[in-house]
Order: sequence, then structure tokens, then C-alpha cells
Amino acid sequence: MTTLVFIPGLVSDAFVWRAAIAAVGDLPCVVADVTTQPGIPDMARDLLARHQGRLVLVGHSMGGRVAMEMARMAPGRIAGMALLNTGTHPPRAGEADKRQAMIDLAHTAGMAAMAAVWLPGMMRPDADPDLAAELTAMVCRATPEIHERQLRALLSRPDAAASLTYKGPMLLVTGRQDAWSPIAQHQDIARICPQARLEVVENAGHFAPVEQAATVAALLGAWARDVAVVDAGLDRIPQTPLFDRPRSTAGYALNKMAMGLATPEGRAAFRADEQAYLDRFALTAEQRAAVLARDWAEMVRLGGNLFYILKISAVDPTPIRDIGAAQAGLSLDTFLETRLGKVTNG
Amino acid sequence: MARLIAGVGTSHVPSIAAALDKGLRDSDEWKPFFDGYTPAQDWVAAQKPDIAVVIFNDHGNAFFLDRVPTLALGVADTYDPIDEGWGPRPVPAFEGAADFAWHLADQMVTSHFDPLICRELQVDHGMQVPMELVFGRPAAWPVKVVPILVNTIQYPIPTPQRMWDLGRVLRHAIESWPTDEKVVVLGTGGLSHQLQGARAGYINPDADREWIADIGPNPQRYRDMTREDYVEVFGSEGAELIMWLVMRGCMDAQVNTLCRHYFAPASMTGAGMVLLENA
Repeated sequence: MTTLVFIPGLVSDAFVWRAAIAAVGDLPCVVADVTTQPGIPDMARDLLARHQGRLVLVGHSMGGRVAMEMARMAPGRIAGMALLNTGTHPPRAGEADKRQAMIDLAHTAGMAAMAAVWLPGMMRPDADPDLAAELTAMVCRATPEIHERQLRALLSRPDAAASLTYKGPMLLVTGRQDAWSPIAQHQDIARICPQARLEVVENAGHFAPVEQAATVAALLGAWARDVAVVDAGLDRIPQTPLFDRPRSTAGYALNKMAMGLATPEGRAAFRADEQAYLDRFALTAEQRAAVLARDWAEMVRLGGNLFYILKISAVDPTPIRDIGAAQAGLSLDTFLETRLGKVTNG
Repeated sequence: MARLIAGVGTSHVPSIAAALDKGLRDSDEWKPFFDGYTPAQDWVAAQKPDIAVVIFNDHGNAFFLDRVPTLALGVADTYDPIDEGWGPRPVPAFEGAADFAWHLADQMVTSHFDPLICRELQVDHGMQVPMELVFGRPAAWPVKVVPILVNTIQYPIPTPQRMWDLGRVLRHAIESWPTDEKVVVLGTGGLSHQLQGARAGYINPDADREWIADIGPNPQRYRDMTREDYVEVFGSEGAELIMWLVMRGCMDAQVNTLCRHYFAPASMTGAGMVLLENA
């Protein structure tokens, strides 16, 4: 089963994810606790240990950085990643001093006073006062100690772009008026990650998931359901994957690689040095392993379409019935006998 | 005016091509399958059609996923067999009925079907196999061809209802074409098969036999099915059968089923044909 892990940002909690969790329906969801760990890598390690199996990560702001770190540590476990209002850059000049001032303010004047200074820049200029009150309440549910720990984690954050090799399904969401994590930061991520889709939400700032809760929830819900359905094989017609948008997107590089084998040049390159041929395409680590192992079921699970990946079988060559049996999880003899055994004519 | 002389529905399984290429036409495994086509081949040969309109899907050969035309129409002078991974097959190039194809383009777009119009196109087993099953393996094909390609790989694929309506437009185009040419329409694909997922190897001979029996006299039930119904009943690739509805849609309401044949499994597919004539 695939679990959705919602990772909040600085001094945030489940409030940020209320609408999104309602929108994903009956998929298993958890809201991550990132209030206790001293660094971003510690948060990532902790969440990977705490939440078993395949994960779809949904991270907001600092939570996005935790998600990227989780994907760096355990790429094989991440079925999809949604990053909201985030970025990859390391701390900037002067950031430490500004953060220290906020740490001091929270300790001396309390979380409400800190929120009064911090929150206005985090929302679009004409944000709803009721929402500001709810966000203030959320900030006050955290303590000055949590706030300090998370800010120190942020100040020691790595440059996430340098290690961002994630190639799986990705949704990027930010607010048009997000002055803290501008659109360009998300465009930078989209350039690195081949399956990234960027959605810019109008009339939203850095707290897009609550400023435009319905819009963001609808985006996240549809995307996460697609990713989870594909990943867990929860097809409406059992054991029958339809080659739709999520699969076509997930498998694009894999199918493109296979399409390259429709020419004598492509086949010669593949035969001469399969690894080097695969290097030409942005395969995920899982897709690459599946191709090298000729794991046909896995290739299809990862978005491969038979009509393209059959071109791999043409090079090998592998008979189509062997590919059928492998997907059915049966020996060839059993497969032929139970599914195709009865000859009928006329 | 040109005349629609027959509609043929037939499978286009690539293993049929491989069997022919390996000289297995008369092997124990394949002879019953191929023999079932002989009466239809003889009937068509005696009628001497001039043009074959072939409805099929490209199987990730002429089109990649970078651009997926829901409908494509060939207007080329010639169509070569394409390299599907084993090198192009040694079948003759297909001469295009370019004039009629452009007329069809006009008629389709006027009737609000808007195909990708292809001036250069290579064709895969989706067209090769039906041509071989209907016309054998001559040194040169006895008809000119018009390929109509339907996306049945990447969802959304077109609806069965839309395929039927395309058939109606095709019929009007044939009967408004100012020559005395004789036209045969080949709707291809299917029958039941599934190549992908844990249900791979699924075939449904009972449903296939009903299809073969009913597509002529009782097509309404197949017009009423959804795309997902097709996948459920006929398998993920069995949904190709929607392309037979283009052929059936261009025929009269009342037809005679002149020939029919069913054989399973051809490789991993229920395979067969019908030859229909307007009553």
C-alpha cells in the first residue's frame, strides 16, 4: 500500500493539510511530525523510519525540503513528490541574522508576537483576516523551542538542488504572490526533474494550501490519487492498467528509450553497451533496474507500454508469451495452459 | 459514383505476420486460422475492388507519445512497411489512393471529424496483416489504400459511438466520390486480448464469438458499450474492436454476413473475421 505523507513547514501542523487530506479520499494519509529533529536530514531519516512502505510525499515550504531529502536518501521508496511553496537554495547572506532575530522574538515576546511579525509576509497582501487568525492560532500551538529548532535546521540546510536526482512523478505548486518562495524557484526544480508539473495558484502567497485551500486540495487530490493508483495497481478493472495520463507521464522516458530501438542504429548502440544507451534517457533508478533485469511486470508498473517495450524484446529476443507469463506471475507452461490453452476454431 | 462493395472486420495480430514470414502458413498451429480466411479472400478477389480503406491503430511505430493523433488520415502516394524493431517486413509497399484520400479529408473535416493529415507515413502490422489476410501476399497489392489511424493506446481513446459516426461519414464520402471505383472498408484489431498487467493473456472466446455473430445483424449493443466496457470484456488491447464499428457504421442497417471465422488463441489473441455485404 502507498501512504501519503503530508509534511508541514515551519511552525505548521495538520491545519495546513486539512483540505488536501479531505480531497484524497480513502487513501492512507499521515501528517508528519517535524517538531523534534535538529536538522533537515534528521527529519528525513526519522520520517523514513516511522512511515513504512512506498510513500507519496507532500511537503510545504520547509516540508518540501524534507521531502527532497527523503527522496535523496531512499529514492526507491518514493512513489511521488508534491512540493509546495518551497525551494532548493542553501542559506543566503544575512539569513542567519534575520532568523536569529525571530528566534529571540519568539523567546522574549511569545509565539503570538512572532506570528504578528512573520505571518503578514507569508500571505498574499489582501489575505482574509479570519485566515490570519487561524494561522496565528496554528503558530501558537508550536513553542519557541520548536520554532528555534526548526529555524536552526533550516540554517544548516544543504543545497537541495545539488542532490536532486529524483525522476519520478512530481507536482509543484506555488502561489502567484508568494514573495518568500517565488515561482522561479519552482521553475528551477521543474528544470531538474523530468516529470515535474508546475501549477501556479492565483491569489495566493506562501501559505497557498490554506489561502486557496479548495484549489490546492483539488490539484493535490487528483494528482495523489493518480500516483497512488498507478503505484499500487489499484485499477478500476482489476489487473488491467490503462495507459492514461499518469502512466504515460511516468513511463515517458522509458518508452522513449524503447522507441529508440526502432532503428538499426539504436539497436546497435543498445547491443554494444546497454548501460551507455540507457544513460541517454532520463530513466528513474527503478526503471533502469527493471530494464536491465528484463522485469516486464515492473516496466509496465513504472509506466512502460507494451508496444514500446516490445522493441526491447525484439533485440533480445524474448517471445511475447514469456512477457505475458511474467506479468501474470506464472510459469510459461501454467500461463499457456490456464489462459490460452484451449484451442477453438471455426 | 464510387461504390462500397463490402466491409471486412479482421484481427491484425503481429504473430500472423511472423507466421507468414517464417513460412508457417500451413503448419499445424496456423493452418486452421489461415484456412478460415480463404472464402473471404476468394470473394474479394472475384469482386476486384479498386480501393481499400483500412482502419487500424499504430502500435507505437509511426507515432511516439510526443504527439498522439486521436485520428490520422493518410493522403500519401505510397506507404512503406515500418521497422517495428526487427527491421521492415518484406511486404510490398502500398500504393495510396491519394485523390480519394483528399476527398475523404474534405468530407471528414466538413463533417466535424478533424484528422491529422499525413503526407508521409510508414505503416505497421496494423495495416499490413489485414491486407495480407484479405489479399494474400501478391508481388504488388491489387488495390490502392487509404489508411485511417485511430489512437487506441493512450487514454483518452475515442468512444465507440464516435467510431460509428466516423463510419457514416466514410460512407457518404465513398458515395460522393465521382468515379466508378469499388471500395472495400477494413475495420481491424482485436478480438479479445490483453498484453499488459497481471491479467495479461486474458482472452474471452465466448464474447468474441458473439461479436463475430452479432456485429453484422445486431451491432446496436456494441454501439452502446463504453470504452471501459470494451476493456473489461475484450481486454485492454481488445478495445481495438471499436475500429470495427467504423466499418460497420459505413454499411447499411441491414447486412448479409457472407463469411465469418474465429480462431483462438492466435499467439495471445482471439482472432477472426467477418465479411459483410449490404443487404
